[in-house]
Amino acid sequence: MFQHKLVKTTVFAVLLMFGLDCHAQSRNIGDFEMDETQLYAMTKQMSQFFSRFNYEEDQFGKKFHPSSADYRNNEKRKNLLPLMFDAENERTSSNLKDFFIEDLTRTGDSNFMSFLGGAWYAEAEASFEFQGKSVSIVMILMIEKERLGSKWVLTNVYFPQFNKLFPEGELAEKEKHFLHPMSHELDFFNIHKAFKQPEVIEYYASNHFHPDYLTLFFYEVKLGRLQFKQINNLKFHIFQMKDWYFEVSYFNRPGMNSGWLISNLMYIKESEKQNLIKFYQP
Amino acid sequence: MSRKTIILAVFFGLFASLSLSAQDISPERKQAIDSLALEKVRDLSKYISIIGNKSTPWSEANRVIDRAEELFMAGAEMGVSSLYQSDVMYFKVRQYFERLMRLNYDRVEIEWYKIEYVSDLQRQPDGTYVGVITIFQKFKGFDAEGNLVYEDTTKKDITVYVKRKETQIGGRLIGFWDVLLGDIRVKETRK
Repeated sequence: MFQHKLVKTTVFAVLLMFGLDCHAQSRNIGDFEMDETQLYAMTKQMSQFFSRFNYEEDQFGKKFHPSSADYRNNEKRKNLLPLMFDAENERTSSNLKDFFIEDLTRTGDSNFMSFLGGAWYAEAEASFEFQGKSVSIVMILMIEKERLGSKWVLTNVYFPQFNKLFPEGELAEKEKHFLHPMSHELDFFNIHKAFKQPEVIEYYASNHFHPDYLTLFFYEVKLGRLQFKQINNLKFHIFQMKDWYFEVSYFNRPGMNSGWLISNLMYIKESEKQNLIKFYQP
Repeated sequence: MSRKTIILAVFFGLFASLSLSAQDISPERKQAIDSLALEKVRDLSKYISIIGNKSTPWSEANRVIDRAEELFMAGAEMGVSSLYQSDVMYFKVRQYFERLMRLNYDRVEIEWYKIEYVSDLQRQPDGTYVGVITIFQKFKGFDAEGNLVYEDTTKKDITVYVKRKETQIGGRLIGFWDVLLGDIRVKETRK
């Protein structure tokens, strides 16, 4: 009931905001009844998500000239931003959303998204064939500047099999495994003890050691043991807005609230963001 | 060539490449390039409708496939998925058109929604601009009795490559923007 009301409100708001007239957007071609209203409302590309988020284009996707009064107009942006959230998700329809919009539309130009601004990541969930089984691996990618332009690069992967190889062991257990400081005098002959328990071999590494899952991933791919099948799902994690994090997902559904929409929103202090970003860009 | 001339040449060469890397497209120029790219996409839409049309003679359809293929960069692919079959099927452009030509319906109707969305252009490392144009297609397949047996609406995200090129006309070098289509992602949006 709540969701239904929310969707109805959203539809009305989109029509009002964009001034779309359903009848004006419908036409007949042969046997087809073409209604384009929903397609106009849909955020069709991430590129359009950026433009709408920044209020840089009109309802038909036509760019405002940077000298136009409409370009990045915060008052108008304030009305459009609520429509860029997944209206069927309570996580993105709370008061937090209003605080976010209020915060974003204050004057100052640090609250606009930038394609080359860094701090935004793609999370591509993909199917691979591994040891005769279909497995799911999450690949993290980011935009990196290079020569005359830029490109997407892999920064990390999440594959439970890799993580299981390096469990967070108990401190007491970890403390049992080390090479005593005079081992060199014994030509390190005692190191054989480390290799007797391969499952905890990393305890013999420095305290600064962190497993590099991307290298493991490349290794398995190079050996031919991990074979790519397809991308199943894609979402984006945006850290560009000061003190905010949000996630953008694609909603393939009919209605006026579809395409690329904000699917999660969190208030996170800049100082705390760095820990979170480490997962995306170790 | 004296040492001084070589140094000057290197300096100006460097300066030229720096100004090239800073080259940006003005909103007016972007609009002109968008129109050029949209023209290619409209050609593609037209060709798809002709190739899919059952009344198009075989030889004519093959000739149109050749024309359609010329719109694309070499090696361009189509990645196709549907609402109920999320597996992505990959086709070379020609393969995709040939498959469309051989679809097992007595009559098909292919129509295009009037809406098209053109992304910003971004430069890839070699300086070529890349964008994506999104269009929507409605497809209906009918059997011999005229019954509708299949219909879908697909979203087509088409990669567009834009490159500044030069050609010589009457002894003068004339610059122009060359537009080629690349990989296409075809995703079903509704039945």
